[in-house]
Amino acid sequence: MTAKVPRNFRLLEELEKGEKGLGADGCSYGLTDSDDVMMSKWNGTILGPPHSVHENRIYSLEIYCGDNYPDSPPQVRFISKINLPGVNGTDGKVDLSKLPRVANWNRDYTMERILVGLREHMAHPSHRKLPQPAEGQTF
Amino acid sequence: MSLPKRILKETERLRNEKDTGIKATIHGDNLRYFDVEINGPEGSPYEGGVFELELFLPEDYPMSPPKVRFLTKIYHPNIDRLGRICLDILKNNWSPALQIRTVLLSIQALLGAPNPDDPLANDVAQKWKEDENAAKATARQWTKEYAKKVSDQKEEA
Repeated sequence: MTAKVPRNFRLLEELEKGEKGLGADGCSYGLTDSDDVMMSKWNGTILGPPHSVHENRIYSLEIYCGDNYPDSPPQVRFISKINLPGVNGTDGKVDLSKLPRVANWNRDYTMERILVGLREHMAHPSHRKLPQPAEGQTF
Repeated sequence: MSLPKRILKETERLRNEKDTGIKATIHGDNLRYFDVEINGPEGSPYEGGVFELELFLPEDYPMSPPKVRFLTKIYHPNIDRLGRICLDILKNNWSPALQIRTVLLSIQALLGAPNPDDPLANDVAQKWKEDENAAKATARQWTKEYAKKVSDQKEEA
C-alpha cells in the first residue's frame, strides 16, 4: 500500500499545480483567500467548451474542501448562472454523482478532475445546445 | 501497511526526544503524518512561543525530503502565509542521511537566524531589511498573539 497523503499536503500539491495557470483543458483554480491556512475555500474557472452554446463564456465556481477531503469530495457550486443537468437551477450546486468522471469518488481525484469533468459535461452532445441564461448573471 | 524500518526507528527516537524544544507525535492512524511542536529559540523574537507544524513523509522518503509546514501563523521572511518554509535541506540540499529530527532542529535554527536574502514572504523580507527592529517587534507581537505559550505546554505535560 502506498503512503496516504494527508488533506493539507494534498491541497498544497493542488495549489502548486493550479498556480501554474490555465491549463490546455480550459480550467483553472486557486485559493479564494491566500491567507487561509486551512485551504478550505477555492474558486474555479471553466472556459466554455468550443462548438457549444458555452463557447467564449467564462464560468466561475466556488469549491469547498471540508475536513474529510480528499476522502470525501468537495462541495462545488456554480456562481455564474448555467443551465446544465446535475446543476441545481436555484443555487448552482453541482451534483457530482451526475458527472461520469467523478461519480464514484476516490481520494486520488482532484478539483481539476471535477472541473474538467464539468467542462466535458457542458460539451456533451445532449447538453451543448441547451438554452442558456444571458451572460453575466449569477446564482 | 508495512512501514520502512527507518521510519519506525525515527519515530521511536522522537518519542524519547527531550530538552531540545522539538516534539513530533503521530497524527491519528497515518504513521507517516506527524503533529509537530517547535519552541521558539531563546534570544529570538519567537522565544516563549510554541509553534505548531505538520510533517508528512512521502512514499519515497528518505530519498525525498519530508514535507513540512507551519500551522501557527508566524512573521518570518522564509515562511509564507500558508506556513510553507523556504529551507535548502527541504529542497535541493536534502540528503537521505538527514532525519525528521535534524529537519526540525534546522527549522528551529531558521527561526533564530532568518535569511531575508532568500525570502519566501517578500513583504516580510523587505521589512526585515529596511527596519530590522520593527520587523522583530512584529514577529514578537505575532508570537504573543498566535503561538501557544511555553508555560501552557508544560502544564499539559
